[in-house]
Amino acid sequence: MFTEELKAFKRLGFRHVLLQILNFASVIASGLMIWKGLGIITNSESPIVVVLSGSMEPAFYRGDLLFLTNPPNERYQTGDITVYKIPGADIPIVHRVLETHDVSPKTKKSKKAAAETTISVPTLPHQRLLTKGDNNYVDDIELYQGLEWLERKHIVGKVRGFLPYVGYVTIAMNDFPQLKYALLGGLGLLALIQRE
Amino acid sequence: MHNIFSRVNNVSAFLSSCMMTLLAAIALSSFLFTARPQGDLTVSSIKVVSSNARRYPNKKQDLAFVHFNITADLTPLFHWNTKQLFLYLEAEYANKQGVKNEVVIWDRIVRKKEDAVIKFEGKNKYVFRDISASFNGVPPASYSLKYNLMPYVGVLQYGEAARTSEPVAFPATQSRL
Repeated sequence: MFTEELKAFKRLGFRHVLLQILNFASVIASGLMIWKGLGIITNSESPIVVVLSGSMEPAFYRGDLLFLTNPPNERYQTGDITVYKIPGADIPIVHRVLETHDVSPKTKKSKKAAAETTISVPTLPHQRLLTKGDNNYVDDIELYQGLEWLERKHIVGKVRGFLPYVGYVTIAMNDFPQLKYALLGGLGLLALIQRE
Repeated sequence: MHNIFSRVNNVSAFLSSCMMTLLAAIALSSFLFTARPQGDLTVSSIKVVSSNARRYPNKKQDLAFVHFNITADLTPLFHWNTKQLFLYLEAEYANKQGVKNEVVIWDRIVRKKEDAVIKFEGKNKYVFRDISASFNGVPPASYSLKYNLMPYVGVLQYGEAARTSEPVAFPATQSRL
């Protein structure tokens, strides 16, 4: 069954195989570079996320793709849809901001600090947030694992763009691991065998 | 090499690039619709009632009950790339400690153009409380109706549809409703 392919593989020669491996590696490397580059531009650790649950229906369904930004000098407002990750929880959650409370940062004026810096940097207020899923009846306080409020450090980003269905591929791959291996193996084999 | 594999590959690559272009065009087209409809919002009455806190039954917590009227025609916001509108009524105020607060007290999801003429009279859907547990001496709050336009594909847009003409003061706390 594979004799044809094996013959083709032998005919291609060692240099060609090396070149294909190099191509494959460069594809992976550029993918990683794009992902990390996006992360730097958007200031978010994962600028594209897939919706995993139905708690924001009918706005977002399972498998929809969301594009996030997390501008460092912008406060979060009510109505913004945030993606947050509570320490101890395994998956990030996509929910809408219901309450914001901006506590202005305490100005500690020690003599040392006053001597060192004369420039006043405008600091953002310390925000306490409460979120809720559009499809849930109650707010998220039970999801915060004992925390009273959500804080800026828990937030991965704010949803800016939306693309339906595309992320379902990753959900399918998680639900059926065989599919993932078949896809990866197939792609790898093709990359090695393909001429041109 | 015109085998079946390369044909399938070419066709699917072409189809997916067509699809991407079309989706990008649709996403960009929603910036052409710049209607910003304005409605009317009035707060008819506010009551502040002392109650028990949610997590700590021994603590007291003031709850505000806000009755309001909304009339707004938001049909211009429905165009071919509008999946739904998320409407929310927000109270904005700064409390005595200088904490700036924004609290959503009511919301509604509008999925059809026929439902986009809003006539609502009622009270807050979510608990309205201050983080200092008391509304005593808190300056007046202004209320506004905002919307989040959620597209089939593309960028989420936000806007304000109505606002109370002037901030509304919180009354003194009552012990019961």
